[in-house]
Amino acid sequence: MQAAAPMDNPADNGTEHRLHPWSWLFVLVQQLKQFIVPLLALLVFGGGRADGFWAGIGPLVAVGVLVVVSLLQYFTYRYRIGRDGLSIRDGLLHRNLRDIPYSRIHNVVLHQSLLHRLFGVAEVRLESAGGQKPEAQMRVLRLDQALALEDLIKHRGQLPEAGAPASVADRLLSLPTAEVVRLGLVSNRGMIVIAAAFGGAWQLFPDRVVANFFETTGRELFGYASHLQLGWMTTAAAVVAMVLLAIVLLRLLSVALALVQYHGFLLSEEQKRLTVERGLLAKLRTSVARRRIQSWTLHEGFLHRLLKRRSLQVDTAVAEMGKSDHRAFREVAPIATPEACDALVRHLLPQAQWPRGEWTALAAGTWWRLFLPMAILCVLLATGLLLRSGGAWSLLPLLWLPWGAYASRQRAEREGYAVDERLVAVRSGWWSRWWRFAEIDKLQALRLERSPIDRRFGTATLRLDTAGAGSLAPPLRLRFLPLATAEALYATLSRTLAQRRLRW
Amino acid sequence: MSELQGIPPVTNVADAIAEIPPDADWQHLPPRGAGLAALGMAIAFAIPCVIAAGFVAQLTDWITPWLLAPLVGTLGAVFGAWIGIKRHRRTLWKLDQDGFALRQGRWWQTESRVPVSRVQHLDLKRGPLQRGLRLATLVIHTAGTRMAAVAVSGLDNDDAERLRDRLARQLDHEDDAL
Repeated sequence: MQAAAPMDNPADNGTEHRLHPWSWLFVLVQQLKQFIVPLLALLVFGGGRADGFWAGIGPLVAVGVLVVVSLLQYFTYRYRIGRDGLSIRDGLLHRNLRDIPYSRIHNVVLHQSLLHRLFGVAEVRLESAGGQKPEAQMRVLRLDQALALEDLIKHRGQLPEAGAPASVADRLLSLPTAEVVRLGLVSNRGMIVIAAAFGGAWQLFPDRVVANFFETTGRELFGYASHLQLGWMTTAAAVVAMVLLAIVLLRLLSVALALVQYHGFLLSEEQKRLTVERGLLAKLRTSVARRRIQSWTLHEGFLHRLLKRRSLQVDTAVAEMGKSDHRAFREVAPIATPEACDALVRHLLPQAQWPRGEWTALAAGTWWRLFLPMAILCVLLATGLLLRSGGAWSLLPLLWLPWGAYASRQRAEREGYAVDERLVAVRSGWWSRWWRFAEIDKLQALRLERSPIDRRFGTATLRLDTAGAGSLAPPLRLRFLPLATAEALYATLSRTLAQRRLRW
Repeated sequence: MSELQGIPPVTNVADAIAEIPPDADWQHLPPRGAGLAALGMAIAFAIPCVIAAGFVAQLTDWITPWLLAPLVGTLGAVFGAWIGIKRHRRTLWKLDQDGFALRQGRWWQTESRVPVSRVQHLDLKRGPLQRGLRLATLVIHTAGTRMAAVAVSGLDNDDAERLRDRLARQLDHEDDAL
């Protein structure tokens, strides 16, 4: 039972290493995190009902059990660094031995919360393609050991010789504080956090507490306002001021969150492996081999455009189902000038031509197909309202139609695709624009779709599937192509794919 | 897109698919599976119909749910069976040099294609009813997301096994598929 051996020679076959001696504490913290809020809620709000001996002692017993479990995990978890891979042994009654070849590891994530930093340790996650769980989650290693392990995986088990000069990482992108503030301004992080907090409060606390809070606050505000006896002009102004204040506060919260999450953002490249480091309090370091990138999304929202910025995201094959994706390797450039984004793409995809000059636009006269779904919905909504109430107000949804038609025309003007022997790219959007592209080698499957309208007008939609595409990412699909073009493209792409090996 | 064709093929994949006859034709599913397809769709349509009818009858008080639910359920089942038979008849598959292709649907037509080189693994499933009719379901998995699994149910058992063997052959040729 000796403590973790120092990793002077990490690729020594045979010796088994333990996690950091304090690691049981972090396992415990992690487990407590899952229970702490319900426990607190129970203690604070549920005390009145279930009083007695067990209400007081129950949480203590639970914590005690968790401590024992964490200690057991520390004593049974061992890992061994081999020449071709890592093997991990854990479990007391149900024993597990897991071999992870270095070549299977797609992402390496080092995470340090404030507590981790206090103890000088880090949590390491090794992720492979697909799957819903990381291959290994090492909670926790001493920071230098964690970095050494990351380095080892980066070099696939072969450490550079001691005397050789360390390879220098290229700094591809770093975000100064001004850029991070811009990132906060364009993002909706604040709103998401507030919404999540409300949802969480609603679930955790008894209904009456939240409802009471809103009721009392609302009544007080309303009572205060009616007490003032304002005219309607003043009331309207007050409402507008309140809304503006809320927007400003939300943006400020977004900026604060961006500063916490993205302070010191640095994208670097070393031996065709990309590494992102960021974080003010909790630090995150995640790295992925360049060739593991499956597809690319360039995004430019309205606020981005005002600030002359874009963001560049990539998909990796690491699936993170149901997890907040802020840890995965996703954001290559959270915010950067359009030129910087294009330069990054050109650097990371040297054979591809980017930005594309020639885009094949939508066929003339197809803009109404973009407009149709929303138009049908509006008409249905108006009809439904009319049948129910019959007032003139029920025609209100129809007011959207002219605007929708205009917006669809604008979108149709910008929508297009470009295919060459390396890359297939799609762009769309008007108010909020995006470009999505993938190397042809990274395509997984094709689908040609024809709706009744497509058959009437002799068009088809070609959908291309890549690995690791998030459900919220814009789809890689070529819409409303003339049938002959779509079929030709479909045939050529399937022939090309069949002849080229899948390279992750 | 003629510029795409100038790419030299990778040899081992080309070897793996050399035994597949070029330009194989579209194949229909065996007709004996139509009843099973109809049954599946009939059940899939009948259940929501029964639930919706029961719900509506409860709400409106216009007719007793004990009459309406079976009635609408039967109608749904008949409609579902009709759709099932139509879909079964309109489902075509093909294995050629480029890979596996599946054509489905009449109103909304789709043609999916999984290139041989992108097959990750294959499942062959046979339910008790399918076993009785010598049918099988083949599921082709890719690493993609929206089309991660392409499933064909109601294949002839021998066809399904042959398809599985042909598509699995290239997997053996690649030592580092992942």
